[in-house]
Amino acid sequence: MRHVGNVAGRELRSLFVSPVAYGVMSLFSVLAGLFFVLNLAFFNDLIFRLQQFQAFDQLQQLNLNDQLIGEFYGSMSVVLLFLIPGITMGLFAAEKTNGTQELLMTSPLTMWDIVLGKFLGGALFVTFLVFIVGCFPALLFVYGDPEVGKTVGGLIGLLLVGWTYVAIGAFASSLTRNQVVAFLITFVLLLTMLLLPAVSDLGIAGSSGAGDLLRYLSTAIHFDNLSKGLVDTSDLAYFAAMIAGFLLLAKTAVESARWR
Amino acid sequence: MIQAKSISKRYGEVTAVEGVDFQVGRGEVVGFLGPNGAGKTTTMRILTGFIPPTEGTAVIDGHDIFQDPLAARRSVGYLPETPPLYPEMNVASYLGYVARIKDVPRVRRREAIDRAVERCGLTEVRGRVIGTLSKGFRQRVGLAQAIVHDPPVLILDEPTVGLDPLQIREIRGLIADLAAPKDGAVQHTVVLSTHILPEVEAICPRVIIINEGRKVIDAPLAELTADGRSLDEIFSQVTTRDVASESGEAA
Repeated sequence: MRHVGNVAGRELRSLFVSPVAYGVMSLFSVLAGLFFVLNLAFFNDLIFRLQQFQAFDQLQQLNLNDQLIGEFYGSMSVVLLFLIPGITMGLFAAEKTNGTQELLMTSPLTMWDIVLGKFLGGALFVTFLVFIVGCFPALLFVYGDPEVGKTVGGLIGLLLVGWTYVAIGAFASSLTRNQVVAFLITFVLLLTMLLLPAVSDLGIAGSSGAGDLLRYLSTAIHFDNLSKGLVDTSDLAYFAAMIAGFLLLAKTAVESARWR
Repeated sequence: MIQAKSISKRYGEVTAVEGVDFQVGRGEVVGFLGPNGAGKTTTMRILTGFIPPTEGTAVIDGHDIFQDPLAARRSVGYLPETPPLYPEMNVASYLGYVARIKDVPRVRRREAIDRAVERCGLTEVRGRVIGTLSKGFRQRVGLAQAIVHDPPVLILDEPTVGLDPLQIREIRGLIADLAAPKDGAVQHTVVLSTHILPEVEAICPRVIIINEGRKVIDAPLAELTADGRSLDEIFSQVTTRDVASESGEAA
């Protein structure tokens, strides 16, 4: 496992020597700014209207975290869902089209060096993106009084959601040599996961046990818990298990290609 | 340095390589010949650890490819048919990455990159992005990648494809120099596949010809051509013989 850093470093460098990283980061900053301003305007509007109606009870309940920061994180998790497939689609697929997988697989690297290195490269990039997100609520500490626990908890949630998406993207990329196909597989998997709680609400799942399972499998529920400032081991265990599971699948896919 | 022990590779029903056996000693340069689809690339991929054989095994510099895969891979420099390049990286950082994943110690990395760049004639393009290089330069970057960690064994799949006559001469000179260095450095063992028969005559003292997955000739070049036949004649004779006998069977 000594080479995880080398593989991850190359992955990151490739993103940053091409326009991809800068394009994604500027696009992401623009979207983050847009969503933040929209959420802020909505929040202001809400306060204004509640004051007009003299609804002091509800004004009391209003807070920056639930009505602004939480909403903003939620929007950004959806933006990540669109962007991450684009970042991860090349992780393994590009190695196949470049012919560089012959270099990787004939170098003294273990399969975990390769798979973890690739994941780490993507995960670090997503960490930059989440850092950008974090800049906006940080501004609110200057003008308002948000709760640190919820603000940071939500950010950690966003980070874990992003890393999970990267693991899923890495798995999709390991299945094919076509980057567009990898993008689509990732996108469909992520959207499906997002919709799982809705499916369970519809009652299609039948027995409540199956419904609970669908709910548990979705990132959304665990992300919400973290956004509420509840850092529960079961949520952390969920993210760890998802990441480990999809990386294991990716490793199996890369390894089995060797035997075919 | 290289022992191939009855290597077979089957893809489902299709047999790519069947019971190929050979040994190559230190400092030997062996030309690996055969028509397209004979199993040259498959055999080379097995020796480099890219794919495992269905049967048999290989020992590279004393390391079995199954028992000790990492050490075996560390001992090999491999130039695949398409050079394994990252088009967005520049030459020096690419070679730096290869040196790192090939376990070149940090203190020797700089020197290893410089030597590979110099040997492959890449000094003028050292800082250029690989994607902007001509085919000839890319091929040479591919070769530099294979020798950057100074492996005792080099496996080159058609190393002179796409090069102009001048570059071909340089690469041949480089291969000859790697096998028998004038400055008393370690001798490299080289196995190279090619379609260009004069190339074999120019640099390979020994020839292995495979046809339809089986080894048909393994002999020193001088011995083969002792009776006045050219390598060209020998090659067409051994690679068409099977076709003749097969059509005989059919009749």
